[in-house]
Amino acid sequence: MISALTLKGRPIVPGKVRGTALVSTKPISFLGGIDVNTGTIIERDHDLYGKSIKDVILCFPHGRGSTVGSFVLYRLAKSGLAPKAIINSIADPVVVVGAIIANIPMVDKINIEMITNGDVIEVEGEEGIVRVFRGE
Amino acid sequence: MHLTREEEKIYDGELGWAYQISMRILVKLGDLYGADNLIPIESAHISGVSYKTIGDAAIDFLEALADSDVKTSVTATTNPAGIDYENAIFTSLSGDIIKKQKRIINLYAKMGIKASLTCTPYYIEAPRCGAHLSWAESSAVVYANSIIGAWTNREGGPSALASALIGKTPNYGLHKPENRQAAALVKVEAELKDESDYGALGIYLGKILRDKIPLIQGLPSNEEGRLKQMGAAMATSGMVSMFHVGRNDINDMRLMREMETINVEDGNLREAREGLSISTDKPDLIFIGCPHCSLSELKQIAESIKGKKVRNDVKLWVCTSRFIRNKAKEYVEVIESSGGQVICDTCAVVTWLRDLNVKTLMTNSAKTAYYAPSLNGVKAVFSPLTECINVACQK
Repeated sequence: MISALTLKGRPIVPGKVRGTALVSTKPISFLGGIDVNTGTIIERDHDLYGKSIKDVILCFPHGRGSTVGSFVLYRLAKSGLAPKAIINSIADPVVVVGAIIANIPMVDKINIEMITNGDVIEVEGEEGIVRVFRGE
Repeated sequence: MHLTREEEKIYDGELGWAYQISMRILVKLGDLYGADNLIPIESAHISGVSYKTIGDAAIDFLEALADSDVKTSVTATTNPAGIDYENAIFTSLSGDIIKKQKRIINLYAKMGIKASLTCTPYYIEAPRCGAHLSWAESSAVVYANSIIGAWTNREGGPSALASALIGKTPNYGLHKPENRQAAALVKVEAELKDESDYGALGIYLGKILRDKIPLIQGLPSNEEGRLKQMGAAMATSGMVSMFHVGRNDINDMRLMREMETINVEDGNLREAREGLSISTDKPDLIFIGCPHCSLSELKQIAESIKGKKVRNDVKLWVCTSRFIRNKAKEYVEVIESSGGQVICDTCAVVTWLRDLNVKTLMTNSAKTAYYAPSLNGVKAVFSPLTECINVACQK
């Protein structure tokens, strides 16, 4: 694996992790959009419908919906179903608060179009750096 | 964002996990919205109390907070829960629900947050004009900014809770005078007859304004209860957190001329009303008290129901805070001897209406009529108070 790309964003929650990217072009509503018992996206019409967010680096534009969504992220983390890290184009308060209380490394102001499903990614939350690794 | 040494210590965790994440929430939200520092607040009002709306995920989090021995540093109040524990109606709910709702109330209380359980905390203790607050509950936010003249952003449950514990809020948005100016001029040409017309106007304006602050001209009355209905509705269909009424406090005439102008005609209002009344079914619940009733609203209801009887096949709920109910004993007696119920600590929107066998509700609240179909799975009929009482008591 070689580091194909280094992206610089804004640090939101510190922490350094490596994982596989799951990328969506649609906003995610954590309240109602995700099954808290399985970590699966259950919002019909969502491009990630049926996919599990457990242990992935979840890349999406921003959150939407009720502030209760923050608590959902906390609960997912407690049950071991949360993503390893969150990357947003532009963070919204629901996801920011959720990532803080659930202690999920998070970076925003990243052009997520540069990231493809299945890319291996390293997130450095403290510095706001995202490294994308690809192929040989 | 600039932090004092004291704030930095909390951010770094010197006072423990709970204060640390509270500080992180405030600082990161401040970063997000361009605040340069934190400012002290005089009170916090916290939403996210009904078990129906927040569920088990929030209980986990509140337990972790309360167990780490945190206490609020300012006056903090809570939004309605899902149950009035002193009213027998709610004993038919499942034991699990009854237990978990109590648990949530107790967890907030353990952190020093008052179990005021109302969306109208300003009737218990009104904030000072010009006071900085951190309030969640959109209808209370509009009321505080527009009718009281206090300063608050529209917080979510978690950020208001973080502010309650830290005693501060990031200085952005409506905490800055330059962001409190009107950005649209609304000219009301439609005829507004009662409080429900004000609610319908609010729903119409919220959709158009989104988060713009309007200066509204042409209202026939600035009566507090009517403005409360209008503000609550605006914050429901839009993100409006503040309005100006009546007199023109925009100094710059050029700015005023260039401002977007919205004319509201009878047809606009009629359309908004029709959108809120999606049912022609006979209601099984008549609900008054969204937002929670004031003392004078209870008086008005008592006067219009005096000498009448609520039919056996319909329930009449009047929702208010326990504080106001205790001050309104004579009105409560009139309403309840007519067969109505004066219910505290909850409301139709945040309780389990379907479990309480409600299928169609009639209300004078545009906010409730807007939310009830999606949040409660019931049909809604939207009518003014006088009509609601008539239908409740029809022979």
